[in-house]
Amino acid sequence: MEARHVIGMYHLSKRYEDRTVLTDVNLQVANGEFVFLVGPSGAGKSTLLRMIYMNESPTQGQVVVGSFVSSNMKRRQIPYLRRKIGVVFQDFKLLEDRDVFENVAIAMRVTGETNYEIKRRVMQVLTQVGLYHKRYDRPVKLSGGEQQRVAIARAVVNSPEILLADEPTGNLDPDVTAEILQLLFRINSSGTAVLMATHNHALVKNFGQRILHLRDGVIEEDRRVGPRRFSRERLDEISMTAGKSIWSDDGRADR
Amino acid sequence: MKLYQGLYLIKESFKTLGRHKGIMFLSIVIMSLTLLVLAVFLLVTDNVLSALERTRQELSVYAYIEEGLTQNDIEQQYKKLLAMKEVESIVFISKAEAMTEFEEEFGEGSAILESLESNPLPASFRIALKDGYKEQSNIRLFAEQVTAVSGIENVDYGKEFLDRFSLMARVFLYVDMILGFIVVLSSVFIISNTVRLTILSRQKSIEILKLVGATNRFITTPFVLEGAFQGGLASLVSLALLALIYLVVVKMLPDIAFLDVQTSVLYVLTCIVLGSLGSFAALRRFLRL
Repeated sequence: MEARHVIGMYHLSKRYEDRTVLTDVNLQVANGEFVFLVGPSGAGKSTLLRMIYMNESPTQGQVVVGSFVSSNMKRRQIPYLRRKIGVVFQDFKLLEDRDVFENVAIAMRVTGETNYEIKRRVMQVLTQVGLYHKRYDRPVKLSGGEQQRVAIARAVVNSPEILLADEPTGNLDPDVTAEILQLLFRINSSGTAVLMATHNHALVKNFGQRILHLRDGVIEEDRRVGPRRFSRERLDEISMTAGKSIWSDDGRADR
Repeated sequence: MKLYQGLYLIKESFKTLGRHKGIMFLSIVIMSLTLLVLAVFLLVTDNVLSALERTRQELSVYAYIEEGLTQNDIEQQYKKLLAMKEVESIVFISKAEAMTEFEEEFGEGSAILESLESNPLPASFRIALKDGYKEQSNIRLFAEQVTAVSGIENVDYGKEFLDRFSLMARVFLYVDMILGFIVVLSSVFIISNTVRLTILSRQKSIEILKLVGATNRFITTPFVLEGAFQGGLASLVSLALLALIYLVVVKMLPDIAFLDVQTSVLYVLTCIVLGSLGSFAALRRFLRL
């Protein structure tokens, strides 16, 4: 099972008219794996993620996500790919004019689920992220961390195989950052592959997970010390012991 | 599209109208005023066209009968004329009737005629033509045929008036068509730009919907429904405004008529289609469908 790849990039390059953003990227992410994508801003992290949910198409090479292959995808197939991927952003991207419940439910509405199933599943996910009691609030009334948890709930409500997170903690202060990271770890421990992009190496270097270093559109280093995914035991360990020191030291080292 | 989705989208479009009250109100006002121009144009066109049609209906050909024909001769003429394919109906006007009509029309001036010993007015046939034969060229041709009938002295169909009338009608139609084209085009332009305004204000929502895997149909449906709703509402508002204008104008020009029910319904339906098409067209460019 570990050998199956949910994401594959093969000799992938992306060029815009005036500059090259990604050069010959080769990358496979295994089913259930947790991967940090680290690099300074402008390194091409966001572009790489956008390639996966096919918001951009490669200039050269190809992207394979599950059964979807970028080189022979039709435009109208893209929505069906996106339903298999959850995406979380630095700026949350919530619908300001709808309450928390609807913000999560929308990801299921587009698939045509029944109201009963939507209600059941959304309540479940909101409970998991600890926002059940705020389900009728508008996003503006929530703190940054809460908004990001709504976004994460929306990303996982369809039980995707892949969760992409683009600087998910970029707008959050250190203890909230810790919460969000733990949430991502927990999602990973239940089997979802997570690919998280961040410019903050210090934040993630001590977890022992696979870290990809991206610089100027090239993968410079691909290193893994620990296991591919977070186990429940490891999760407990982080939150109990190492967690505190990691958050308080390196979480602040966000400079 | 699944049933649940359909119901959700319909509900959603009405909720959106409520959520964006300000911009919706503004765009309905803009649309109403734009459509008012179209409605006024329709009203004017409708009235001028029906006036032209009325005049055309009243056109008849007078065939004056030579003096001294027998009753029998006149009956023969009558039958011959009635047999012509252009003729709808014929009324015989005797010399005495012609006199009476003349007196009615000219009142006191008719005293001149009374001073004469005999009635100088000829008897005549007033010929009404069938619908397809009321064009200028047809009438001229018909008049020639009637002149050829023996015992017909003269044919009068108001040639000069008809020539001028036909020319005017044709000029009006051309000008009206060009104006109509401009009015419709500018309505479409204004409406699609208004719709684009509402789309831009919801650009972020559209982006999010695309992100979570909404199909283009899922995204466009509420906009198209809203466009239809806005178009319909705006057309009703513009009709109400038109009615107000009409009530004022009709006091000065009592002959004009308001749009009939059929035209009004057609107008509202057209506006509904215009609204939804406007939304769809604006979104299409936006979503790069």
